[in-house]
Amino acid sequence: MRLAVCVKHAVDESELRADGSGRPILQGAAAKVSTFDKNAVEEALRAKSKSGGEVVIVCVGPPEAKKTIREALAMGADRAIHVVSDPAGRDSLATSYLLSKALAKAGPFDVVLCSEGSSDTYECQVPPMLGEWLSLPYVGYASKIEVQGAGAKIEQSLEDSSQTLEVPLPFVAAVVSEINEPRYPTLIQIMQASKKPMEELAAQQLMGADAPQSAGTVVDTRVQSMNRKRVVIEGAPEESAQKLLDALKSEGVIGS
Amino acid sequence: MNLYGRDQKLMVESLYPDRAVEYGEVLSALGRFMQEKILPLSPAFDTHADSIGRARSELLKNGLLQIAHPKEYGGLGLPFSVYNLAIEMLGAADASIALSVGIGNTVAEGIRMFGTESQKRRFLTRLISGEILGAFSLTEPSSGSDAKAAKTRARREGDEYVLNGSKMFITNAGEADLYFVFAIAEKGPACFLVEKEARGLSIGEDLAKMGMRGSRTSEVRFLDCRVPAANLVGEEGKGFDYVKAMLNGSRIVMGSICVGIAQIAYEKALVYSKQRTAFGRSISEFQLTREKIADMKTRVTAGRLMCQYASMLRDAGVDFSSEASQAKVFATEMSVGVCDDAIQIFGGYGYTTDDVHRHWRDARLLTIGEGTSEVLRMLIASRELARSL
Repeated sequence: MRLAVCVKHAVDESELRADGSGRPILQGAAAKVSTFDKNAVEEALRAKSKSGGEVVIVCVGPPEAKKTIREALAMGADRAIHVVSDPAGRDSLATSYLLSKALAKAGPFDVVLCSEGSSDTYECQVPPMLGEWLSLPYVGYASKIEVQGAGAKIEQSLEDSSQTLEVPLPFVAAVVSEINEPRYPTLIQIMQASKKPMEELAAQQLMGADAPQSAGTVVDTRVQSMNRKRVVIEGAPEESAQKLLDALKSEGVIGS
Repeated sequence: MNLYGRDQKLMVESLYPDRAVEYGEVLSALGRFMQEKILPLSPAFDTHADSIGRARSELLKNGLLQIAHPKEYGGLGLPFSVYNLAIEMLGAADASIALSVGIGNTVAEGIRMFGTESQKRRFLTRLISGEILGAFSLTEPSSGSDAKAAKTRARREGDEYVLNGSKMFITNAGEADLYFVFAIAEKGPACFLVEKEARGLSIGEDLAKMGMRGSRTSEVRFLDCRVPAANLVGEEGKGFDYVKAMLNGSRIVMGSICVGIAQIAYEKALVYSKQRTAFGRSISEFQLTREKIADMKTRVTAGRLMCQYASMLRDAGVDFSSEASQAKVFATEMSVGVCDDAIQIFGGYGYTTDDVHRHWRDARLLTIGEGTSEVLRMLIASRELARSL
């Protein structure tokens, strides 16, 4: 089975700082594999261990994204395709287009996996757009994937329910983070990752007549400040416990 | 905090400009592993609410001890100073695990430097892959830094040695699979590899400690303990030279653990100083707090540089015994001082909160273990005086 996993070179949100006006400082910000993409890589590796084949990492990102790609390769993927592209001005539509062209060039693939959203912007737009560009069935919120013969049974984790779908190969799926626990590559795997094949493609090489115009422009990004309620519960222990319980119920933190 | 933060990254980039990407990826991945799998559990290790065994095992299987060992034995063949930075990060994540694996690596180092090829294949490969854990057994109930006064004896009987005596304050005792034991044989000091199944080996109770509570410390006793003659390390009579060489590397590691402890105590205090207000403003705006912050940071940086300098001398193959002792004396005492300042910045919360004062309690061990500050100062002075003649 040939599996592809789309991986984003994402800003490390744990290291992100905002300036005095509340705008995130992206210049020189640390980057990494988008956290949830590791779930997609893990799922592909598990599928490969059952059915054989290869796992190919595909990433659209700047030259520095090679580090991110090596992180995914270290987990156990076989090879990678790096579409070199400056993220400035590139929206989800353009990213999904470039991914689709890279996948078409390197394919065909039986399964294309993404995560439901990236850990930095979490726009959740690339996976469904990718399905559309590739004219393949798309299944989002996948919490379990079982490839069986020429198709797959996929459980979708929805807000208040789940449903199981059957889809033919090939397909695009976006996994939720609950689907698995990604493995940590060993230090030997990290060092060996730099020796795995990584094909480099310039974004311009992939642009065809159907290349999309930007669907929108991000004009500003600000952090959202959240004010804590600072509720102080006073009184005897039993009385306080009851007040705390009531407060948690009224906030919807626990069921009534 | 990010364990592989700006300070560590700049250190790698300045020391190894040609290999910074490769070493950086190894350390960055290790830092993330420690941050996600060890750091959150560290308070529970201190209160015995959880045991370090599982996290330590996962860390070792991830390859921490492979870093600086030769490829032919399953290592990565990277510089000792890269391993040393990893140990610093581990000291910040959890000092008890850092102590435990640091000691485990001292045993591996002893076998690498002085063991037979068969011992390297049988034990070194498994020590660095995390399959087995080592315990360094030198100190005795009545002798510590004065190792030559050891009373444990080894008597040759046919194809075996028979060991009698006891070792005290042994890190990893009871958990280790292999004990590297210093004893006096017929021709003088000698070292032996004693497997945990050896007849006549017994372990005392886990000793209660003020810090490093996640690591196990006990007495190890030998009563007619029979060890195959093939488990003699090197030659009889050279045991004291072997442990001196092992301790030189280990002292840098203990210094680096303390740099990590100081780093996390400093970072916690820094964040708190911005949050805590007094007289209508953050205490970080007061000049006396700022003096502490400046001094803490400066001392942590100095400790890191001294440990890295000693590591680089070791990597270069030159005599580094004085520099290793200097690094340990400075970094361990620096760490106690920085953790003390952190408690002061936290005020009453520092004195009453385990997660603040445990760093001081952890650091406090290491001005004693692996050579007290007093003995190391004697060694440094002797070495420097001899050089000046």
